Amino acid sequence: MTTTDADADADAAEARLTVSHPAGLHLRPAALFVQTASRFASEIRARNLSRDNSPDVNAKSILGVMQVAVSQGDQLLVRAHGADAVEAIAALTALVAGNFGDAS
Amino acid sequence: MSGVGLLIVSHSRKLAEGVRELAEQVAQGRVPIAAVGGTADGSLGTNADDIRVAAEQLASASVDGVAVLLDMGSAVMSTELALEGFGTPHRICNAPLVEGAIVAAVEASIGSDLAATAAAAEGASQLRKVAVA
Repeated sequence: MTTTDADADADAAEARLTVSHPAGLHLRPAALFVQTASRFASEIRARNLSRDNSPDVNAKSILGVMQVAVSQGDQLLVRAHGADAVEAIAALTALVAGNFGDAS
Repeated sequence: MSGVGLLIVSHSRKLAEGVRELAEQVAQGRVPIAAVGGTADGSLGTNADDIRVAAEQLASASVDGVAVLLDMGSAVMSTELALEGFGTPHRICNAPLVEGAIVAAVEASIGSDLAATAAAAEGASQLRKVAVA
């Protein structure tokens, strides 16, 4: 289940993504997330909405993404800011919604 | 191929190759990774000559830098000896072998330079395996 909101500001976009992959956002899914985010120039931040005190991390940093500790069923808030923010959020949404190509 | 390559050094050849297998899974073919471990007769240990050969393999893959992930103890000394005069910029990461190699592989796969790749690997020592209550 995903929702995407294009902000009124054309340079900003965000999405709330539910991670249904059994491994959550660990190892290969986390790597794919970071590799996808890194294709875009926009600044991209991620935070785990399902955990109290989740840090807001750089989505292009594997250490950061591993620190948000996303487990199966958790909801992730991803926000992008920059010229390709909408495209970046679309790509990350597709990755998560597509269950990371079933990468384990 | 430009970018950063990884050199995995362990006392055990099997361990080095296993770490490479894990790192390659996240690197998606974008990061040259060499693994070396054990002695010439197949027992546990590290051998500077073999480490140098593995490093040269990375150099011939035209990497700009080599991040070294190793297990401990004499692996450090053998690697330092092996890389004396090695012409490609390199850094022995002060990082846990498994987590460090995986983090470095992802970091290198997105085009980060040697300093950023090594810094990420070293940050892997802060990753928690289980949530702290």
